[in-house]
Amino acid sequence: MTENKQEFWRWSEYNWRDENKDWREGNIVTAGIDVGSVSSQAVICVDGELYAFNNVRTGSNSPDSARRALEGALKDTGMTRDDINFVVGTGYGRVNVPFADKAVTEIACHARGANFMAGNEVRTILDMGGQDCKAIHCDEKGKVTNFKMNDKCAAGTGRGMEVLADLLEVPVTEIGEMSFQVDEEPPPVSSTCVVFAKSESMALLKDGWPKSKVLAAYCAAMAQRVASLLESVGMQEKFFITGGIAKNRGVVERIEKILGVKAIQTKFDSQIAGALGAALFAKTLYEKRQAKGVA
Amino acid sequence: MFSKFFEWYEKRHDYARDWLTKNDGEVVGCFCSYAPEELIYAAGHLPVRMLGSHEPQDVTEPHIFGMYCPFCRDVLAQGLKGRFNYMKGIMLAQSCLHLRQSFTSWRNHVPVDYAYYLYMPNKVQTDHARSYLAGELAKFRRSLEEWTGREITDEALREAAEVYNESRRLAHEVYDLRKGPNPALTGLEAMVMVASSFMVDKKEHNAELKRILPELKERRLDRETGARLMIVGSEDDDTEFIRMVESVGATVVTDDHCTGSRYFWNSVEFTNGDILSDIANRYVDRPTCPTKDFETRSRFPHILQLAKDFNVDGVLLIQQKFCDPHECDMPPLKEYLNENGFPTLFLEFDVTVPLGPMRIRVEAFLEMVGEEELF
Repeated sequence: MTENKQEFWRWSEYNWRDENKDWREGNIVTAGIDVGSVSSQAVICVDGELYAFNNVRTGSNSPDSARRALEGALKDTGMTRDDINFVVGTGYGRVNVPFADKAVTEIACHARGANFMAGNEVRTILDMGGQDCKAIHCDEKGKVTNFKMNDKCAAGTGRGMEVLADLLEVPVTEIGEMSFQVDEEPPPVSSTCVVFAKSESMALLKDGWPKSKVLAAYCAAMAQRVASLLESVGMQEKFFITGGIAKNRGVVERIEKILGVKAIQTKFDSQIAGALGAALFAKTLYEKRQAKGVA
Repeated sequence: MFSKFFEWYEKRHDYARDWLTKNDGEVVGCFCSYAPEELIYAAGHLPVRMLGSHEPQDVTEPHIFGMYCPFCRDVLAQGLKGRFNYMKGIMLAQSCLHLRQSFTSWRNHVPVDYAYYLYMPNKVQTDHARSYLAGELAKFRRSLEEWTGREITDEALREAAEVYNESRRLAHEVYDLRKGPNPALTGLEAMVMVASSFMVDKKEHNAELKRILPELKERRLDRETGARLMIVGSEDDDTEFIRMVESVGATVVTDDHCTGSRYFWNSVEFTNGDILSDIANRYVDRPTCPTKDFETRSRFPHILQLAKDFNVDGVLLIQQKFCDPHECDMPPLKEYLNENGFPTLFLEFDVTVPLGPMRIRVEAFLEMVGEEELF
């Protein structure tokens, strides 16, 4: 391996802020921090409206990742952590968010976030995260009514896609597009294990398959995997996808094809759904505590 | 208050070895809760139900299929590792194929003096089952008598059944204390209370229960009850799992497990007739394992009644991986409980359960069944 080998799996960290809004004019400022297995997001809401967010890679230390995520969201806003009325932590590192007032599971947060992003008609949510995926049913308020998580296997997750990006030396953000550059859809690779799928992909490359065809086979396997998860809880429209893989049209469009359902498209970044849901819960929790006079 | 039960459960082998030094009998390992322990007890032996150790192991691979349940592998591992090397007798009352494999492998590969296979009928929903099982119990009685050369009198059988009935009655009393808004004990304590009764002379276990009951009736736990949960499914003595569940805002208030309520739910009803028939009827009439629950699924109304009586908010459906009888029941059971207003969460168990992934599922389930604090 050369020393300056490019890391194709590495996606860029970024932040965003609503520049038309002045947070000082709002009443309640809340934050949601989603410390996931691969990425961490911080979302700041002002009066229940999205104001700023930041998306970073999760490091080995969850509290540090949470801090880093929030600092990025606060950048250039003039806001400090003390200006935030209530913080909810979520994600697998939810109990390790040092400044959180409460921890809520990412399942509840993704449903709440999806309800905000895609509207209250959303009933089925697929969260395709870094190391797991979840099929969630919710009601018109975004309250979870049923859910199912993948177990024993990380096929169908972001980490799997990163592994493949590195193997094929294709930037992870370009995988979706490239996977459609095939004459016809190849049969999917193994859909039960990331490592087996990687071995299988290596064998296909050795057989002379072009990268695009291997990617098509891999995206198809991933789509098949999560479609079966969705089918096991039942597909109720409307349907929305959250998490990093929602940005990969190679997987999304194949899921839609298998299920015969179109996922709702929105202007929002799918990766912040969990943190956004957490920030919205933070507002409700803050208001309830204020009403009780304990906040 | 439950420290004695925890001690028995955690030091089960020490207890058994000690029992052997003090008693003129043998320890007889039973492979299933359908074992008619009364007969073994009446013969002066200590019946012990063998449970796993919840430790990863690599000794059963040559003996048992990979797609057999983790519990039956874990049990067999205990024998192959010599953990029961003081135990001279084993017996299986037929329930499932997987546990039968553990029994036959144990018989073939772990030195024992005595191994008995009892043809416990699977079709208990026929009147023939009663007379058939009574006949099988008579054969088992003769076999035990031949093994030790000691007669098992009707009187001894009656006495044993009375001791067992008292154990069942006391366990009911303890479970009743979980029905109110402030359960007097945690699910973990209840689990260990029942599981330890598999391992200890019932008379001794009864005495300890009688000792703690007056205090238990007055007990106020220094913890929030949170969501009231029921656990239903395969064999389950996973204390780490229930500890985790009860640490995230819930209390397990009842169960339908062969290591829980199913084991003690009904008693021997004495008819003044043939005592073996009375004992046989008890095993035919007990809340069933899914291996024996056909053609009518009699478990479902029983489980629903438990959920109602214990005022349950949600039900954890747990299944040992590859436990086919329970797996077949899970989809209709889930539907049945949901239709009756009880939300469910299905979880699959292995020898050890990964607590992190289980925790997120349980917490999300609690948020789902819980109050609308978030909305």
